[in-house]
Amino acid sequence: MSLKVDRASMAFTFKGGMLPMTVMELASADPERIREQLSGKLSQSPAFFQHTPVVLSVEKLDEPHLALERICAVCRAHKLLPVAVRGGSDPVKQSAWALGLGWFPPNDGARARTLEGVSTVEPSPAVPEASPEPASTASGGRIYRGTVRSGQQVTAPDGDLVVIGAVNAGAEVLAAGSVHVYGALRGRALAGIHGDTMAGIFCRELRAELLSVAGNYKRLEDIDPQLLGTSVQVKLCDAQLGITSLS
Amino acid sequence: MAKIIVVTSGKGGVGKTTSAAAIATGLALRGNKTVVIDFDVGLRNLDLIMGCERRVVYDLVNVIQGEAGLNQALIRDKRVDNLHILPASQTRDKDALTSEGVEKILETLSKDFDYILCDSPAGIERGAQLAMYYADEAIVVTNPEVSSVRDSDRILGLLASKTRRAERGEDPIKEHLLITRYNAARVDDGDMLNLDDIREILAIDLLGLIPESEAVLRASNQGVPVTHDDNSDAGQAYADTVSRLLGEEVPLRFHETQKKSLLSRMFGGGRR
Repeated sequence: MSLKVDRASMAFTFKGGMLPMTVMELASADPERIREQLSGKLSQSPAFFQHTPVVLSVEKLDEPHLALERICAVCRAHKLLPVAVRGGSDPVKQSAWALGLGWFPPNDGARARTLEGVSTVEPSPAVPEASPEPASTASGGRIYRGTVRSGQQVTAPDGDLVVIGAVNAGAEVLAAGSVHVYGALRGRALAGIHGDTMAGIFCRELRAELLSVAGNYKRLEDIDPQLLGTSVQVKLCDAQLGITSLS
Repeated sequence: MAKIIVVTSGKGGVGKTTSAAAIATGLALRGNKTVVIDFDVGLRNLDLIMGCERRVVYDLVNVIQGEAGLNQALIRDKRVDNLHILPASQTRDKDALTSEGVEKILETLSKDFDYILCDSPAGIERGAQLAMYYADEAIVVTNPEVSSVRDSDRILGLLASKTRRAERGEDPIKEHLLITRYNAARVDDGDMLNLDDIREILAIDLLGLIPESEAVLRASNQGVPVTHDDNSDAGQAYADTVSRLLGEEVPLRFHETQKKSLLSRMFGGGRR
């Protein structure tokens, strides 16, 4: 047996390669919720969704059976191309193979860096020059320590945002989930930016220029002056922003 | 190695140049070899405030473009030996400043001086960003007024992100708050923001508080930094500010309305 092959006659060669790959870490197995979030992301950064290959990571899910076919269909409808599945039970592995997807063992080593806001890929004309990077928490939320200053924007695209400090006038804090400000809120706070109507805004001292939950907003002018300067929570009830005192 | 301090504010007309001149003078009077650089290319005010406008031959842009040596452009102050001024150009604009040129000048000056003060132009554009880029410390000048406080807040954000220390991940720039044009009587009347409000919003250490004073305008027009007028409230307040910059503990003055004594009310002894 000879391994000597004429190079010119070879139809292919195998090469080892490291390719950058986006991992979509599923926190929910519900195709509807995935679809909802993807629609939000698609409108935010359309440049990212151009038949981008993704690996669906189901490590965080504790479900033996997965509607993998429907999840893939949702991804494709949003111009994401699932190429493989990572982690999951044996039935998940079987259904991945059945769908013509690859399967990777779970990544039990170091936790992969969260690709927040995919800012390396999207052209970002609206990104302000000074955007401090808050620390991520395991749940996808973020904690920012310090004063958020005029012109700065702090975002938690996948969960709650906690600010330990003040949010000054002219600053903006946004979160997919709720916004918590342990200090004076003088700037703009937007919770539920992907449409989560259960999200809320909580702050120690209300002076906000704008409050918004899932797109329903109130301007400083619309806020009852009696509530200004007090600690409050802001919740959506019947498509109306309700501000109630916490003290 | 010199300490590089930028005097900045975002908003115009709050007293950056006056403060840069007064603090540089104070530092020099205390025996520190000090140079103050005018970054406001195109406007050129510092030499007027310092009273050396008639002695300007070469300027910052000449040095950056290699048309003059640094020693040719530096002007020695007439009153204080340790003090030098590097004036701005009036015939050029801020695009004539290059980052490499500024870095080279600051590096050269660092060898000879104890303190380098950079008098920033107003705004948040190129000129202001270059003035702050290489700084070790920043004096943020703020008036007790909402738009000034808002702009200072914006500048503090830039200091934390758009400077060499921030980009290299070194220790952050030391930020100092300098409140100028403070009129305790108008604060009491509610016309002006009070000291605590400003400190709460900006959340940085207070370096000094300069009362609104006739002495400042007089000093500017005479081209004598107000620090030399040590009988005036503003002159004393700037001297306090310099002491704090040098690490001394000095109690705050001029932030409360002073009850006028009966005699001074009768004879109309106003504040100097």
